[in-house]
Amino acid sequence: MSIRLEHVSYIYDADTEMAHAALEDVDLEIADGSFIGLIGHTGSGKSTLIQHLNGLLTPTAGRVLVDGEDIAGKKYDRRALRAHVGLVFQYPEHQLFEETCLADVCFGPKNLRLSQTEAEERARRALQQVGLDEQYYKASPFELSGGQKRRVAIAGVLAMDPRVLILDEPTAGLDPSGRAEILTLIAGLHREMGITVILVSHSMEDVADYCGRLIVMNHGRVAWDGTPAEVFRHYQALEEIGLAAPEVTYIMRELAAAGIPVDSEATKLDEAVNSILKLWRKGC
Amino acid sequence: METRRTGEETIIRTEGVRYEYTRRDEEGNIEGTTIAVDGVDMTVRRGEFIAILGHNGSGKSTLAKHFNALLYPTEGVVWVTGCDTRDDARLWDIRAHAGMVFQNPDNQIIGQVVEEDVGFGPENLGVPTPEIWERVEESLRAVGMLEYRKASPNHLSGGQKQRVSIAGVIAMHPDCIILDEPTAMLDPVGRKDVIRAARALNDVERITIILITHYMEEVVYADRVFVMDRGRVEMSGTPREIFSQVTRLQSLRLTVPQATLMAHALREGGMPLPEGILTRQELVEELRRLMPHTSEGGD
Amino acid sequence: MLKDITLGQYYQTDSVLHRLDPRVKLAGTFLYILSLFIVADARGYVVAFVFLALCVGLSQVPLRFIFRGMRSIYFLLALTITFNLFLTPGEEIWRFHFLAITREGARTASLMGIRLIFLITGSSLMTFTTTPNQLTDGLERLLRPLRLFHVPVHEIAMMMSIALRFIPILMEETDKIMKAQIARGADFESGSIMQRARALVPLLVPLFISAFRRANDLALAMEARCYHGGEGRTKMKPLKYAGRDLGAYGILAGYLLCCIVLGRWIG
Repeated sequence: MSIRLEHVSYIYDADTEMAHAALEDVDLEIADGSFIGLIGHTGSGKSTLIQHLNGLLTPTAGRVLVDGEDIAGKKYDRRALRAHVGLVFQYPEHQLFEETCLADVCFGPKNLRLSQTEAEERARRALQQVGLDEQYYKASPFELSGGQKRRVAIAGVLAMDPRVLILDEPTAGLDPSGRAEILTLIAGLHREMGITVILVSHSMEDVADYCGRLIVMNHGRVAWDGTPAEVFRHYQALEEIGLAAPEVTYIMRELAAAGIPVDSEATKLDEAVNSILKLWRKGC
Repeated sequence: METRRTGEETIIRTEGVRYEYTRRDEEGNIEGTTIAVDGVDMTVRRGEFIAILGHNGSGKSTLAKHFNALLYPTEGVVWVTGCDTRDDARLWDIRAHAGMVFQNPDNQIIGQVVEEDVGFGPENLGVPTPEIWERVEESLRAVGMLEYRKASPNHLSGGQKQRVSIAGVIAMHPDCIILDEPTAMLDPVGRKDVIRAARALNDVERITIILITHYMEEVVYADRVFVMDRGRVEMSGTPREIFSQVTRLQSLRLTVPQATLMAHALREGGMPLPEGILTRQELVEELRRLMPHTSEGGD
Repeated sequence: MLKDITLGQYYQTDSVLHRLDPRVKLAGTFLYILSLFIVADARGYVVAFVFLALCVGLSQVPLRFIFRGMRSIYFLLALTITFNLFLTPGEEIWRFHFLAITREGARTASLMGIRLIFLITGSSLMTFTTTPNQLTDGLERLLRPLRLFHVPVHEIAMMMSIALRFIPILMEETDKIMKAQIARGADFESGSIMQRARALVPLLVPLFISAFRRANDLALAMEARCYHGGEGRTKMKPLKYAGRDLGAYGILAGYLLCCIVLGRWIG
């Protein structure tokens, strides 16, 4: 399932004096099976962008094409699209409402007009995928811990059986282990089921570790688009727009600047560590 | 303001603090008791910057709410500037001495206009009107939000809202500010601004700061760090002492700053790096000593 | 959709009307509404219109804003006009099957319509020029005598003020939850009334939970900042009458007198 954005612009509060463009002339192609990191400071247009991908927002100008079809078209089935392109909002646990976790996860499949048994089957599978212990299936989602609640909420979207999964800061507010668990879970979904993942994040370390491609948004435009190494090469320009490179990149750059021939483009911890160790062992 | 010295004077002291609450099912029957805080002894001196680390559910926020009498210990005692928090007659004194900033920036701003919100605390304390204005101005200036004094809180970013909340606490002229995960809901820029404001208050005004967080980078500059797990203080010491125990922290569902983590991995790879590297600069310095340089480049 | 409601929103600028004491504006709004029920003919409405137009002009609030606020009452306006137009008995001037318009009906309908528009414009002008905090302060002061009858005036004012602060936050939240549920295939727009009502559950449950959580957080934050009711509390911005406020009272009295004269003696 390929998604293409052609010259997409979006203006909030059009025809009022509060009108402002949240997206300006965005051209993007999202290839099947990719793992993309979407970064940008608050208000750079990330949230607006992802809401275009499943038709929650319709571009003021330009088109969003899914498998070549304009999703704003009159006859286009946007409900089916929402099943294919799953969107997990920030703090998704705030949308839980059912009496049991299982029932809550069934909400999506039921909206797809699946039978009770089919819906439940999908819900069980989704809950299994997010690693929620079976003893909690019949428990109220409100009795779970923060991390567990978030898993249930993610399962609620997974149960729609999406081909593309978009997550808006899925680790916000969690402690370090909770963050790592959610990211491992997402990486697993990508690896094992081939789901295309778009991860919105404020953590440069996280996107560097998991994503093959980064899209940097600034003032509603795509500022950079490339591999982590390509994007973080512009760390000074990134700082000017309220972002940064991973800590590791800075360390490697400073070492390189000091005349130590390490891989100054490393963005992941293990890459950096291997590069340094290799050089050190050679020097010893 | 009276004379303020750093060091000996105790601001907050807890002795054997234990906090239990009873869980009830839907019919209101008791299901069991949960021990959120389990025997904590802690002393905080005037002018210190204290950090409390711990994973979600480790009891750190419950403990923090004891510091300004929002909760009372089931067992043990909490003293704030020498007063037992259970002393009802001193309740408002205690809360004015130990101000608190909470996690959610939206749920603690009462005023419709920034300056009116900052004035809320002094109004409650019965401060005369002209002095409220002085306090509001100096507090907003201290957190760098003076230019927004007439703005509506709804138009501010999360980091700005948290700084307004800090100003609201400063306006009560506290000895100590407890920040309960003030940055958990903020973006990196907002996080930096809030931490910078807290550090400036500690450095310049010598206000005691107790910062509760699970962002490791925020803890590096603290004087002392307490690590909580299952309601107990599991580790305490300087940031360097704490962060040299990488595996121990990881087993407590925490992590360490990136530079420390990298140093740890390099040490495991055989490099003779010292324990307790905290910052990028320290790591680069150490590596420059150990690594072979090329002839060109360098300084 | 949720952004249309300007009623109860403050427009920031520095006009004479903005600087007036909220008590004057509250009293003024009350008296203006009263005046709309005193005047009964075209001349009276002209006076009411001129007065309103002058106030709008003084307020420096752009007309666009004022008309946008009107959008939320279109339905009410249409309903009022329709009912008056067709259901007032009298001399018939037009008929289509069972629908008939009478002279009296046309007259009442237009007067009621104008009255409603004036009423909404007048009261939203107050909210455009007065911050909700000033408004509650004003109310608190004006209603202070009720404390003699053990009415918790301060607490009511505080509650109103907090409610006003959280309206935009909860609106935003509603929008977010709605979108999140739509992303899970929810449908808020089609189906029978029963189906639509049921479709609201996934929106309302999270919204209530969030509202309770916010209320709980806020109560804690207020306690932490030493809030303990109105007792012993001072004010950062105590209300004090200035010369212009007395002048405004004078003008109000003049206007009301004018309306009474027009409505009672001349008319």
